[in-house]
Amino acid sequence: MTVPDRDSPGWDESERLAILRDYGVLDTEREAAFDDVVALIARICETPIAVVNLIDADRQWFKAETGLGVRETPLATSFCAHALLQEDGMVVPDAAQDPRFIDNPLVTGEAGLRFYAGRLLKTPEGLPLGTLCVLDTKPRPEGLTDLQVMALETMARQVMSHMELRRVLRLRKEMEAQFRVLADAMPQMVWSTRPDGFHDYYNARWYEFTGVPAGSTDGEGWNDMFHPDDQARAWERWSRSLETGEPYEIEYRLKHHSGVYRWTLGRAVAVLNDEGEITRWFGTCTDIDELKRLEQGRELISQELSHRIKNIFAVITALVALSARQYPEAKAFAASLRTRIAALARAHEFVRPHTETSKPTVGPTTLHAFLSDLFGAYADDAGAARVVISGDDAVFDDQAATSVALLFHELATNAAKYGALSNDRGRVELTTRGEEDRFVLTWTETGGPVLDGAPTKTGFGSSLALLSVEGQLGGRFVSEWRPEGLKIVVDLPSTALSRRRAAEKAI
Amino acid sequence: MTARILIIEDEALVAMELRFVLEDLGHEVVGVAATSKSARDMARETDVDLALVDIHLSDGPTGIGLGRELGQDMGVTVLFMTANPGMVREGVAGTIGVLSKPTDERAVQTAIDYALRRRQGEPVQYAPPGLQLFG
Repeated sequence: MTVPDRDSPGWDESERLAILRDYGVLDTEREAAFDDVVALIARICETPIAVVNLIDADRQWFKAETGLGVRETPLATSFCAHALLQEDGMVVPDAAQDPRFIDNPLVTGEAGLRFYAGRLLKTPEGLPLGTLCVLDTKPRPEGLTDLQVMALETMARQVMSHMELRRVLRLRKEMEAQFRVLADAMPQMVWSTRPDGFHDYYNARWYEFTGVPAGSTDGEGWNDMFHPDDQARAWERWSRSLETGEPYEIEYRLKHHSGVYRWTLGRAVAVLNDEGEITRWFGTCTDIDELKRLEQGRELISQELSHRIKNIFAVITALVALSARQYPEAKAFAASLRTRIAALARAHEFVRPHTETSKPTVGPTTLHAFLSDLFGAYADDAGAARVVISGDDAVFDDQAATSVALLFHELATNAAKYGALSNDRGRVELTTRGEEDRFVLTWTETGGPVLDGAPTKTGFGSSLALLSVEGQLGGRFVSEWRPEGLKIVVDLPSTALSRRRAAEKAI
Repeated sequence: MTARILIIEDEALVAMELRFVLEDLGHEVVGVAATSKSARDMARETDVDLALVDIHLSDGPTGIGLGRELGQDMGVTVLFMTANPGMVREGVAGTIGVLSKPTDERAVQTAIDYALRRRQGEPVQYAPPGLQLFG
């Protein structure tokens, strides 16, 4: 048993062994890259023996050797184990004269080794894994020449960088294998492309879903798997992501192996290197067909329901009109009831949940839009509005719809009977103003018949308007019977028109 | 101006009321159809000047295609009457416009009057209130 030069190495041996195993080189086959190194270094150093030697726990193992004829020997007789404890390497000019090796069987025995020169194979972390060394059976008191030393150092570094490459490649292979297992275990389809968008990977789920032969959708073949109507859109969206690097997200129909197209959510993100350049794209396809179907079903039901509600208003007004035909004396009553119901139906049209196709045709569903629509019936012969709306617009919800509809229906009806809309010249100005926590609507009639003070008897229409404002909307209703025309100020809390929204905000 | 009018409406009460209104105005209601098929048959068998077409009929939302066919191929002047005018937001070729239901007698009267004037090539200055024109 030989005794190391230093009592303890500057590293943790178990850590060193673990890292050695990480390189995955122990007990591998011979490789030309390493064999060439030992052949060359033996020639240069003019020694019969050269070895790439790795120091394992209880043996030294040779990745490459020339002149030895074995792949491993016990650690007890190792020269290199001694070299490992040196800073860079070790030279033994004559082992027979060196107290460290004088009793070594390799020196005293048949091998008859005398000369040793070794250079450490050090990891980037600075841990020695072994040596590149040369041995001779003749002592060499002069050691190696400068050129030989330089060659040994250089080749040792070459061996190490080759080992390093191996380690990185191995690590990468492991990670790739892990990625593939992970990707294949996912319920989604997973794919990956080169920076230029060339698809070179799909997971098992992709092939399972599409049923296409492995590799057949590599490159740009994926686009053919999309519904013809979605191909251009997907291509355009994907090209944009490739150009800008922005995440890709799109819904399209993907051809299932059964032949039907299923709605799919496609997403992808780019992997960037330290320079911020795209090195790869990773993407997924998620089958959302079921979800989409439910969504469409829900939309259909909501549309149908909305349509039914709207239709019920039409049926009710028809029923009122038909009933009134039996009783001619009720004609005026029926007419006013019908117009009130029509105003409600109109307001409902503005507040019911809408889809793209069911939206009112008049534009945004705001208060002003609703009122312009409601007052459309009072336009003059040239089609110009006689109720002119100005000021701050607002939105109103289903809770306020009935009150808003009745209030303005009654005001307009009243104006048409007795006020500014009862002749050809009069007009109404309606201004709406948001003031901190109030919303104030001012209805000003001009150009109608001269008024002679407030009417002595309050009509049902006025009662409805008053009830809508003070009872339902929680506001104040002030009317001023001026000779030039009626002026009404409706002062509402700003939350009155959309109470639900106000409540949600408060939460 | 009186005309031969076809009512295409699947809601019997609404159709009946409309029939009374039109007859009060002096028009002749040549039929009431609840499906696009029966409407097509009636339009083929009788002379029709004008059709009032609901969009949702007993056989589904078939009114749009029916209106286009009546207007473009059969020479009928077509007015849509529907609770969901948004369905024909983009307009329908060969038809005049859409009235939103529920509506009142005056709106029906002025809209029909307007449509018949256009049918006869008379100049008309503006669209009556409640009627949204196409094109």
